[in-house]
Amino acid sequence: MSTTNTNLADAARSAVALAREKGANEASATVGRSRQVEVQWRDGRLEKVSEATTRGLSLQLYVDGRYSAVSTSDLRPEALERFISDSIAMTRALARDEYRRLPDPELYEGRSLIDLSLEDPRQEKLTADERQRFARELEEAARSVDTKGAILSVTTGFGDSHREMYRVSSNGFEGGSRGTQFFASADVSAKDSDGRRPEESDFSVARFFEDLTDAATLGRRAGERALGRLGSTKGASAVLPMAVDNRAAGRLVSMLLGPMSGASIQQKRSFLDGKLGQQVGSELLALSDEPHVKRGLGSRLFDGEGITARPLPLFEGGTLRSYFIDSYYGRKLKARPTTGSASNLAWKLGTKGQPELLADLKEGILVTGFLGGNSNGVTGDFSLGVQGFRVRGGKLAEPIGEMNIAGNQLDLWKRLVAVGNDPFPNSAMRTPTLVFEGVQFAGM
Amino acid sequence: MTRRDFVGYGTTALAAAGAGQLLGCATAQRAGPGGPGGGSDGPSSSIGYFARFGVTETLIRETLAAALSRGGDYSDLFFQHRVSTAMALEDGAVNKAFTTVELGVGVRVVKGDQTGYAFTEELTLEAMRSAARTAAAIADGPSRPGPQSFHVYKDIPQRYVLKAGWDAVRPEQKLPILEGLNAAAFKSDPRISKVTLSFSDEYGAVLVADSNGRLVEDVQPMTSLYLSCVAEQNGKREQNTYGVAGRAGLEFYSPERLDRMVREAVGRTTILFEATQPPAGEMPVVLAAGSSGILLHEAIGHGMEADFNRKGTSIYADKLNKPIAHPFVNIVDDGTNEYARGAINVDDEGNVPDKTMLVENGVLTTYLHDSISAKHYKVKPTGNGRRESYRHAPLPRMRSTYMLPGPHKRDEIIASVKKGIYCSNFSNGQVNIGAGDFTFYVKNGYLIEDGKLTRPIKDVNIIGNGPKVLEKVDMVADDLVIDEGGWTCGKDGQGVPVSQGIPTVRVASITVGGRNA
Repeated sequence: MSTTNTNLADAARSAVALAREKGANEASATVGRSRQVEVQWRDGRLEKVSEATTRGLSLQLYVDGRYSAVSTSDLRPEALERFISDSIAMTRALARDEYRRLPDPELYEGRSLIDLSLEDPRQEKLTADERQRFARELEEAARSVDTKGAILSVTTGFGDSHREMYRVSSNGFEGGSRGTQFFASADVSAKDSDGRRPEESDFSVARFFEDLTDAATLGRRAGERALGRLGSTKGASAVLPMAVDNRAAGRLVSMLLGPMSGASIQQKRSFLDGKLGQQVGSELLALSDEPHVKRGLGSRLFDGEGITARPLPLFEGGTLRSYFIDSYYGRKLKARPTTGSASNLAWKLGTKGQPELLADLKEGILVTGFLGGNSNGVTGDFSLGVQGFRVRGGKLAEPIGEMNIAGNQLDLWKRLVAVGNDPFPNSAMRTPTLVFEGVQFAGM
Repeated sequence: MTRRDFVGYGTTALAAAGAGQLLGCATAQRAGPGGPGGGSDGPSSSIGYFARFGVTETLIRETLAAALSRGGDYSDLFFQHRVSTAMALEDGAVNKAFTTVELGVGVRVVKGDQTGYAFTEELTLEAMRSAARTAAAIADGPSRPGPQSFHVYKDIPQRYVLKAGWDAVRPEQKLPILEGLNAAAFKSDPRISKVTLSFSDEYGAVLVADSNGRLVEDVQPMTSLYLSCVAEQNGKREQNTYGVAGRAGLEFYSPERLDRMVREAVGRTTILFEATQPPAGEMPVVLAAGSSGILLHEAIGHGMEADFNRKGTSIYADKLNKPIAHPFVNIVDDGTNEYARGAINVDDEGNVPDKTMLVENGVLTTYLHDSISAKHYKVKPTGNGRRESYRHAPLPRMRSTYMLPGPHKRDEIIASVKKGIYCSNFSNGQVNIGAGDFTFYVKNGYLIEDGKLTRPIKDVNIIGNGPKVLEKVDMVADDLVIDEGGWTCGKDGQGVPVSQGIPTVRVASITVGGRNA
């Protein structure tokens, strides 16, 4: 089997057939292939060019009531045959698990026929010169904002990828997808008067080249962000209102989504266990999972198990509406599977942009980035490093760093008092600016 | 998809150290020298790359010639074959297993400090030559000849000799370990309501072939085991984990180590019912011996990686040969700790690592180098050129980073603090290289009141600035412990295994991200 010469669907079908021949009762196979090219540019010249072409096979094996998941990039025919035989032998050594079966075929039904527009033909035609030019223009734009000679170094990058996959399950599922992505970033390092060398960046990700932020805007924003960090200080410890900008807010939201997985619920590792149908946030916490967004970074017609993708309400007016339940934990929990993971988030947006929200906030802190920290998924307690700006009189004031926020999520989301109109386009979470009241900051 | 996801797939610079799973601060576990010897995994038995990778010297020679076809200064090929297996126990049964096989070759072409990189998972002449030509495009000049002959570099140490390689261990030999730990965890405390276990092992072989004709082989075993508990008490739940890891074989799982795992995992979980988040603000912090070495990894280690200094973006870029800490502070980055997770016989550029003094008597002495930065600084590579796999180009990375023992005693240090916290168990950390701000997350610890450990604390992020905090390390005890946990360091979207350690130390003042200032 070679994925370079064979079509992916045939490769997946023959892997399933081989697994059954070697003793698996059921199997599903995913065959994937991707190509990614990237250029990195630093301080006026090319620093790195890389190209990655990868292909691989993942197999889920169900053998006499036992289960294993295996994957390999070694697709030489003899190696693959031995790999599958060995994997089946290993599976036989495990304990039986009555919950481990392929998804019920009815979960495969009703797949949308919509064209998600995930593949940009432009990707194939991009040249090395175009990639380098984008990276060079990013640097020029970043440096253009520096009137004081504070910028030490600028590293920019441009990358694009094409990925395709095909999945086949022995109980009737077949499906594939193809998609492109483009990525551009600028990292800018500046020298502060106290010897610190703060670094900031900006980036853009899109399915279509034309949707990338243009190099001039992106580079300038990265430069401005880095210069904005100069002279940052550690403020005093206090309880203050907190605005979190749309780019940073995904970090907070991911702390909320992890404990919504079926595994977290069944394994009693979730502070959201038992909270379905209950109010866990303010009225403004309203979002759903929307798999069918055209050109969406997380868009899909079926999930990782082949379950048909459908819109899923997550929070409505602060009330928890769904968990992310795959077929295995669905059986263990005696709950109907939804999907094992999020696709694209869709927020109920507010009417104001960030400047207006800050004007309303008056005194507080705008968080533009998180540094380390963690959240305890069982209790909801969290503690996160932050950087950003003090907001005074409704306007951005001095930059702050080396500070921390802490609290409990069940309390934090009830303190959500405003949602912006500015969903972040470079992430499938598409978070808007979020504003919370009464957050504990630690500093001096 | 977030930026990090994309970066995780291998793009632009993002300097962060995401430490892996949880770990502990048990007794020092430095396996004795010598070991059982003569096993199938020792470097003494050659990898036999002709058979394993199906490649020949002719094929290597032609690939390197293609790599230098546009005049690169240097080229290397990194072949890797790695079989990783994991087994998990949940709800009382070992009922799932995972296996991943990776086989491929990465081709790197270096021109000055510019890098061209490509890899292929098809080890045919056609595919390898095509990858080599792609990588060659970083240079733009007349072709240079590749090596005409090769020599196998034999003089490499043996830091992880196993009784048997993981390819020879059957699943039936691992199952009783997991089942025994599960039973012991439930038996040790009635509040334990859920136990999960994850066992993993790795059989990995690498071959570096470079344009100087050097061939270097290594077989790199790895294993780790995590025990995670959920406990319930009066309707409340808590969860915690203890993990161990090393470049070791099945014999790593001694009865003593397994007993310690249960004791630590259960103890660290159940104590959380009594714990609170500490107050917020600046205060003295005492770091327990062992995994508190995360402080060194974040506060200094990343900033000492030579790529950040070569580019002038590290806060340590102008601090070489200057005092940065009290004279009793000595910090090393060491590839030589036998059986440690961060140990390596050769780095991923084929260089033999050494023990590198980063800070000697309080003075910053050297950066951590890969071959590109070593050439830039005109020094010998320190054996810190590491990569996650053949899918990535090497970068300067840490190995086992720790502080040497100092003049104070643990009890003396605790007694010296009137009001502060004692931190003993951590889950992760991160650093901004240029600004120097770093964090580490404390899972367990205690308040210190009037020189005594009092109430347990939990779930708090500590935030500080590297150079400022190092200056404030004002007491160092004599009780160095190298942690036995399974840490993974993230940089540029690549994870590599590392170790860390430290004696008990006092930081005079640092920001504790607690509540109720």
